[in-house]
Amino acid sequence: MSEAAAQLVLAQRLRVAVCVADARRRNLLGRVVAEAGHLVVDGDEMADVVLADGEAPRGETRPVVMLGGADTDRAGMLSRDADARQIDAAIRAVAAGLIVRAPDAIESGFGAINEPDGHALLTPRELDVLTALAEGLTNKAIARRLTISLHTVKFHLESLFRKLGARTRTEAVAKASERRRSETITL
Amino acid sequence: MTDQPDVLAQVSTALVARAAAASNTVVAIRLGYERHLTGLVWQSDIVVTSEQSLPQRDEFELVAAGGTVVTAAVAGRDPSTNIALLRLATPLSAPVNGAGEAQTGALALAIGADGTGGVSARLGLVNLAGPEWHSMRGGLIDRRIVLDLALARREEGGPVFDAAGGLLGLSTFGPRGQVIVIPTATIARIVPQLAKDGHIARGWLGVALQAVAVPDALRESAGQSSGLMVMSVIDDGPAARAGLVAGDIMLSVDGTSTQRWRKVARLFGADSIGRKADIRLIRSGQVITVQTTITERHAA
Repeated sequence: MSEAAAQLVLAQRLRVAVCVADARRRNLLGRVVAEAGHLVVDGDEMADVVLADGEAPRGETRPVVMLGGADTDRAGMLSRDADARQIDAAIRAVAAGLIVRAPDAIESGFGAINEPDGHALLTPRELDVLTALAEGLTNKAIARRLTISLHTVKFHLESLFRKLGARTRTEAVAKASERRRSETITL
Repeated sequence: MTDQPDVLAQVSTALVARAAAASNTVVAIRLGYERHLTGLVWQSDIVVTSEQSLPQRDEFELVAAGGTVVTAAVAGRDPSTNIALLRLATPLSAPVNGAGEAQTGALALAIGADGTGGVSARLGLVNLAGPEWHSMRGGLIDRRIVLDLALARREEGGPVFDAAGGLLGLSTFGPRGQVIVIPTATIARIVPQLAKDGHIARGWLGVALQAVAVPDALRESAGQSSGLMVMSVIDDGPAARAGLVAGDIMLSVDGTSTQRWRKVARLFGADSIGRKADIRLIRSGQVITVQTTITERHAA
């Protein structure tokens, strides 16, 4: 990062142009940006960062934080309903020349039924353990809830980590929820 | 330079001509201020586009070649093949496009509407041309066609042509921003049904399922190593009426093993509506069979 860019991030106040067609949403986002301590400027004025939703202004060369949409070339991509904290963090990051991606920002698109790898399928018991894990339960609490031994909980956890390719509990929960989202089918 | 124009210039000139000729095959579907989606003019009074990106509205304003504004009513939507059909209030001059043949490595030209009556163009390769596939929503797509070109949101839904000018289909976004094509054959199959009924009839049980491994102790009685676990049951749907509950593991539907999702999906075509289906499942450690009656699925 250049020295100038580093100073920019540390500066309390960035100039942000909010390019949103819908007036009500533009006002709302302007308020979010202002409350985070930045200066909201007109699209044509000097701005450090552009905040846009759906589609970025054509020919825009300044760093853009997108809220939703499939325009994956932009520096910042958040989901349409990103919260104020995420918007502020993304604005500061792209101003510093970084690329920001929220995991749920890229719309899922029209996909195929995946026939998942049979070896990596979870068992119903492992799904129970995962649900408890997602609630932040300790191994002891999981054992109590499922009325199984602590040893068995550890056994299921090891198997879960291996099948999901995860190293931590948080990672296991994240990977499983991603899998559920992409592999749930409706009949 | 000799007086013979070089090959690259010839290719470029041909592409310019193709893009200009495509102007009457696309319309801009206005979504809001300075926002639009592209539509493909299928017949003089019918436009098709990408269903997933078309907002739930009854009517849209379209900008046709040269800037003519026409209104169109949504006449049908099929999320399973990602095709939406719009019927124009005033017919346009319909282009005549033969179907193209997708081949891996061949050139593909994707055309979008620019919103003012002109076109935008994208050139790339057919990254992959594969066999038919089933979408997550249960639709049959005649060929898997993946492109290696970039596409803007506003260009989605427009035509994709092969080098000979044949229509490969309409462009859309697959998972992770991948650009894929809904083939001409699929559009040709779906449009008449959509125009007639407004939707594509499909069989329905009213369950959300996720693949799970069958616990070791039950593999022998189940006769298979994986099944589809019921994650949720829709109130008053056929599955609910048959007493299915979350946690049941479906092993087969009318003898077709749920280890093969695609084969199961195929059992739920329009002809399945009203048919009785035997579902073999694991519940509380027992393998049992319940009977359901498949009903028609309405808008997803």
